[in-house]
Amino acid sequence: MSVRPIKIAVMALGGQGGGVLADWIVKAGERAGYIAQSTSVPGVAQRTGATIYYVELFPRSEAEKQGKEPVLALMPAPGDVDILLAAEMMEAGRALTRGFLSSQTTLIASAHRIYAIGEKIAMSDGRQDTDAVRREVDAAVGRAVWFDMEKTAEDAGAVISAVMLGALAGSGASPIAREIFEEEIRAGGRAVERNLKGFSFGFDAAAAGAPPASARQSKAPPAIGVGAARAVKPLVDRLASMPEAVRSVAYQGLKKVVDHQDARYGALYLDRLERFLRIDAARNGADLHRLSSAVAKYLALAMAYDDVVRVADQKTRRSRFARFREDVRAPDDQIVRVWEFMHPRPEEICDMLPSAMARPLLASRQARGFLSIMLGGGRRVATTNVSGFLMLNAIASLRFMRRASSRYQSEQARIDDWLALIEKSAGADYAFACEIAALQRLIKGYGDTHARGLSNYGRIIAALDQMKQADDPAKALRRVRDAAMSDENGDALQAALMKIGGSEMAAA
Amino acid sequence: MAERSFAKEVEDLRIGEGEVFRGEGILAVTKALLQSGVSYVGGYQGAPISHLMDVLSDAQDILGELGVHFEASASEAAAAAMLAASVNYPLRGAVTWKSTVGTNVASDALSQLASSGVTGGALVILGEDYGEGSSIMQERSHAFAMKSQMWLLDPRPNLSSIVNAVEKGFELSEASNTPVFLELRIRACHVYGSFVAKNNARPAFGLKNAMENPTRDYGRIVLPPSNFAHEIEKIDRRRPAAIDFIKKHRLNEFLGGSKGDFGIIVQGGLYNTLNRAMELLGLSDAFGETDIPIYCLNVAYPLIDDEVKGFCLDKKAVLLVEEGQPDYIEQAVNSILRNADIQTKVVGKEVLPLAGEYTSGVIRDGLASFLEKHAPHLAPTAKPANVAAQSEVASIVPQRPAGFCTGCPERPVFSAMKQVEKEIGKFHVSCDIGCHLFSILPPFDIGNTTMGYGLGWAGASAFGADASQRTVSMMGDGGFWHNGLTSGVGNAVFNKNDNVLIIIDNGYSAATGGQDILSSRAVNRTKSTNNPIAKAVKGVGVEWVEEVHTYDIARMKRVLKEAMTTAAKGPKIIVAQAECMLNKQRREKPLRDNAIREGKRVVRARYGVDPDTCTGDHSCIRLSGCPSLTIRDNPDPLRDDPVAYVNNDCVGCGVCGENAHAAILCPSFYRAELIYNPGGLDQFMARMRATIISFLQRRADRRRAKLSFGDA
Repeated sequence: MSVRPIKIAVMALGGQGGGVLADWIVKAGERAGYIAQSTSVPGVAQRTGATIYYVELFPRSEAEKQGKEPVLALMPAPGDVDILLAAEMMEAGRALTRGFLSSQTTLIASAHRIYAIGEKIAMSDGRQDTDAVRREVDAAVGRAVWFDMEKTAEDAGAVISAVMLGALAGSGASPIAREIFEEEIRAGGRAVERNLKGFSFGFDAAAAGAPPASARQSKAPPAIGVGAARAVKPLVDRLASMPEAVRSVAYQGLKKVVDHQDARYGALYLDRLERFLRIDAARNGADLHRLSSAVAKYLALAMAYDDVVRVADQKTRRSRFARFREDVRAPDDQIVRVWEFMHPRPEEICDMLPSAMARPLLASRQARGFLSIMLGGGRRVATTNVSGFLMLNAIASLRFMRRASSRYQSEQARIDDWLALIEKSAGADYAFACEIAALQRLIKGYGDTHARGLSNYGRIIAALDQMKQADDPAKALRRVRDAAMSDENGDALQAALMKIGGSEMAAA
Repeated sequence: MAERSFAKEVEDLRIGEGEVFRGEGILAVTKALLQSGVSYVGGYQGAPISHLMDVLSDAQDILGELGVHFEASASEAAAAAMLAASVNYPLRGAVTWKSTVGTNVASDALSQLASSGVTGGALVILGEDYGEGSSIMQERSHAFAMKSQMWLLDPRPNLSSIVNAVEKGFELSEASNTPVFLELRIRACHVYGSFVAKNNARPAFGLKNAMENPTRDYGRIVLPPSNFAHEIEKIDRRRPAAIDFIKKHRLNEFLGGSKGDFGIIVQGGLYNTLNRAMELLGLSDAFGETDIPIYCLNVAYPLIDDEVKGFCLDKKAVLLVEEGQPDYIEQAVNSILRNADIQTKVVGKEVLPLAGEYTSGVIRDGLASFLEKHAPHLAPTAKPANVAAQSEVASIVPQRPAGFCTGCPERPVFSAMKQVEKEIGKFHVSCDIGCHLFSILPPFDIGNTTMGYGLGWAGASAFGADASQRTVSMMGDGGFWHNGLTSGVGNAVFNKNDNVLIIIDNGYSAATGGQDILSSRAVNRTKSTNNPIAKAVKGVGVEWVEEVHTYDIARMKRVLKEAMTTAAKGPKIIVAQAECMLNKQRREKPLRDNAIREGKRVVRARYGVDPDTCTGDHSCIRLSGCPSLTIRDNPDPLRDDPVAYVNNDCVGCGVCGENAHAAILCPSFYRAELIYNPGGLDQFMARMRATIISFLQRRADRRRAKLSFGDA
């Protein structure tokens, strides 16, 4: 068979440096005695879109021997790519769907994810499942080298393309020697030391055969209550009698609720939860403890509702100071100053007052207006300044009067109603009761977001009786809940509720 | 200054006879222009030929040495009109743009030019934006060549062939007194390769000679009776001259074998893809050695009847590989053979798709079908395995359309629009061409139509009814100067329009690669910049004009709402200003890094999200869509939804915080300022603050310890 070029495709997102990588490969190829050709379709796709860079290398000696110039292609052909470098997991998936992966292909792919806008804008969890992508990609290629190149690049302070170049060299899939690639990075003259380090990390990871990312570490279940303080010991002890399936969720829930207020609040949590454990204990079925597990989780979230006290408390914690330093990648000795974006509305302030005071205030236009002016719209609070910190610290310490607050009253009333509904439904339709418990998922966020969630929740609760008429009420309820979480304007929810109403009318 | 600098590469333009030139296709074209003794070059940027404009812009010193005048034209029409210099004088000129859109804009001038005919060689370099990576409607430039009787070169996509096409293109133009198109597909524009160079040539007759010795010829003006004479001249004299030249200089190539009862006719630009498809079927090798006869059309228009007839005469069937639609070449070949009573079967769109890009996979499959029927002994025994997975992966892999960059100043404009729509109801939005068109995609989903560059406001001009809601039109500063000032703003003033225009004034023609324009703030050695848009629109009679800094979302909301609801009649313009972040970062980041290295005090801002207070609703992302605002696992084991997260690409533009404020979103966002090389006061204050804050934090920790569960 006649000599064929080495075909290398790079699949990357605009801004990931796919062009730089292709350039390095071309120049290294020329240095190593190849005729190199590369192409791309940058254009506007460059602005964060998915792009392909394509390189062909043909041995110069062969061309000279024949006395002819090779005819090189300008795009990868399906089933005819020798090396495919993917700068992100889904881009490897895209290579598969475009037919670029075959048994002739060595795939060198970063296992990290860059979420697409469609995945990010979901009101809940819109992330795509990657397991199927990994499985099918691995089955399609001759050999796959996967590791988190983004993380490796960050460790080295290099660009991801340097790590990918290193992985290409380390994989042994290209005939170009390591030193030649490294010379190219040096010749580039930009961030040479860091990129060489990234190259070397990438080389080692590929040469060693990085562990598959699918072997993700599972979180060890938390040890329950070893060394618990005296005030919470009795609460922890109450967990011991719970069935295994519920205990660990209940433990997390208990911690969250106690952290929110105090031990007494934790006791209230357990009191409430135990009502559902009793329901579960009294029945036997396939999904044993499903209800109490759901309640353990959602009750904790409901009870640890987000008010200004909780926000101020979270913002001032020592652990939070350590975390923002880490998130902004600040070295230990660097001074970091932080400003919060607070936008307290009259509602949030009145939330903290006893209902007897809050209600008339909120009802009065003048009072609301006055409060709005006093609050002055958006506020930036410098938490790392003494004054800002003291202010937030003072708000956090209002915990002592939380129980008297109007928000506390209304939250507890809502929780009690909700729990009563679940309890009432559990006897007749257990699955339906579990779905009612999960409705708590709708209530989250602050300000408008919280108001929207609460209103959606209210609309669904009001339609529960209608849903009971459906063939599968639990399924109907889940569908309505999904609809509520699928669009911000509430159109999908409206349509889903209309459908419930309509089907009932049709049945009647 | 453009996004990409070619300052280093342009030095290669000086290399001389026999040296090997290495670089991108578009760079090779530049070198070929200089080798051809070109006198003037113009054009309008746009992928895939933006780099050609950028290279020329960076090469002004070399152009100056050779007496070449370069203009970054105001539009493709302006560029095409520039070729008028070659009508009366033996001056070689070249212009370039993105096609077909640019050719549409240029076609008035091109028709005039093609009618007049040229004395000096006139070359139009078309970046054919067709197929993968294209951002425009899928049409062929071929039709323009046919209707105006201009010749269309479509060379093989290797640097030597492209350079040869430039040089021969000028000669062809002069031999036939006709302007010539040179069409380069996207990948050919960006192909990296090499060719053996020649010396640059300084034109014998220069612009200065022409200006100082003007000549006139009434017969070259498009006005009766000359216009009638031009049409006859095109057919009687110019076209035969072109055909003679093409034949004599063998611009079309006969490749492959010379025997057999079938062959392939291919557009030059597709030759490499065809050869790869043949390789995959075992019919050719890496050097293009094949027994199958190939007629390679490096000149796609006009066809050379004698060559077509000669190629087809001894063949039962030919495969015609012609990309795009309609199938102009296939129709023409059929017509030539029919007229000559040659019975060769022409197989083109019968086995190849009617529309869409001809990739190697597509050509391989079409060729296989052709062989099955017309050369079964060569047909692949097994159907080529279709490795493209029909699996669930196709439904999992997310679409990744282009979008606004991290920190883009256009994003807050659309965040504000989305919020204003919530307050006053939906409105019709007429879009334009430019980065701002990304508003039509998630998360903004804002926009109704786009009618062409600079035509955003004209695209809403029908909406003159007395309605309770006004329309909003968009325009970029690039489109504004391209023609929007007249077609949009002047048009609105004259017709007493009562609607709203938002002009995105980011200081560059950003989508095409950050080239300077009239209103750029940068100081440009060879161009006049700093001509404010507000001044221009006031000059044509707009009274309601507001300039708003885009990142000030609260003010943007206020001004937009005012424009939409004010009782004041007449056109209303909001000039939304802030520098393109891509260019700003490119300019400022190296300066900042240097300052840090030199030990100067530098404060760098960026944003973050607290995962404890983020509840995973992602409202912030729906209002922003910034690539650096993403999601990660929720650290709270009880919560299902991922939390928002600002990754390390954040440039600290502040839109997150502004949105959180303006939309009353949530308190999770924070702004962090990292201080490099802090001064004495910084350090003193930091120590003092840390002492007090950590005292209070320890106290809170002690309180919490009493409620500790022992594991955290």
